[in-house]
Amino acid sequence: MKKIVCFILLAFTLLNAKEFNAPMKTYMESLSVEAKAQNPNFTGFDAKRGEAIFVSKQAGKKGTQMSCTTCHTTNLKNGGQNVNTNKPITALAPSANSTRLTDVAEVEKWLRRNFNDVFAREGSALEKGDVLTYIINQ
Amino acid sequence: MKKLLIITAFGLSFAFAGNVAPADNAQYQKECASCHFGYQPALLNKTSWEKVMGNLSDHFGTDASLGKVESEQILNYLLTNAGSGKITANNSTMQITKSPYFIKEHRKIPAKLIEQKEVSSLANCLACHTTADKGNYSERAIVIPNYGRWE
Repeated sequence: MKKIVCFILLAFTLLNAKEFNAPMKTYMESLSVEAKAQNPNFTGFDAKRGEAIFVSKQAGKKGTQMSCTTCHTTNLKNGGQNVNTNKPITALAPSANSTRLTDVAEVEKWLRRNFNDVFAREGSALEKGDVLTYIINQ
Repeated sequence: MKKLLIITAFGLSFAFAGNVAPADNAQYQKECASCHFGYQPALLNKTSWEKVMGNLSDHFGTDASLGKVESEQILNYLLTNAGSGKITANNSTMQITKSPYFIKEHRKIPAKLIEQKEVSSLANCLACHTTADKGNYSERAIVIPNYGRWE
C-alpha cells in the first residue's frame, strides 16, 4: 500500500515538474556552459534573480521607463499587450500557454529583441538563463 | 442611361475600390503580425519595403530583427506583392500613413477619434476598418469606435 502511495506521489510530482523539453534543455545547458565560462563561481540559474530582471525598470529607448512587465504584466499567466501597437500578447507562463518556451529559435529571437528593447543591449547567458528559469516556473 | 452606367463602371474600375490582396503568407503573419496588424504588401511600394526590411533591428524604435533566411524570404514575399499606383504614389517612406492618397482619404476624421484609446493611431487599421484583415477597406465596412459608421 505504502509503495502505491509513494508511486502515485512520485508520478504526481513528475507530472507537475516544470521541465523544459529536450531541445530547450540543450539550449539551457549551452547557456549554463557560457555562464560558467564568464564566471567560475556560477552554480546554476535562479528564478528569483530572473524575476528581479523581469520586473526591473529600465530607462527605455523612447524616453519612458519600461520593463518586461510593461507588455507582459506581472502575472505571466495572463496575456499582455504590446505597448506600441496595443496588439494582445498571449500568456508567457507555460502553465497557461503550453506553446511557450518550447521552440529554441523563437526563444532566442524574443530574448534578443526584448533585451534590446528594454535594456538597450543583449542579455548575458546568466541573465537569459535566469529569466527562462523564472518563466518556466510560472 | 446605359451609356451613363458604362461610364460610371469605367470610372469605378480606375478608382481604388478599397480592396487589396490579403496578407496570406504564413511566415509574414508569424514574424510581422505577431506585434502589429499585418499590413498588406500592396500598401507600400518596393522601395518602401526594401527600407523597412533593411533596418529591422530599429523598426520604429523596436528591435524586430530576424534571421537572415527569414528576412530574405519575407522581403521576397513583400517585393513580389508590393503595391503600385494610387495607394503608393509619391510615397517611398516606410509608413503607409505618409502616402498622399492615404492622407487624403483620412483627412476628415476628427483627431479625437484617432487619438482615443480604442484606436490610438492611424496605423491601427483594424480599429475602424472591420474587414482590414481580409484586405477589404471599403467605406461600407468602416465602424469608428464611439462614433459608428462612416459613410
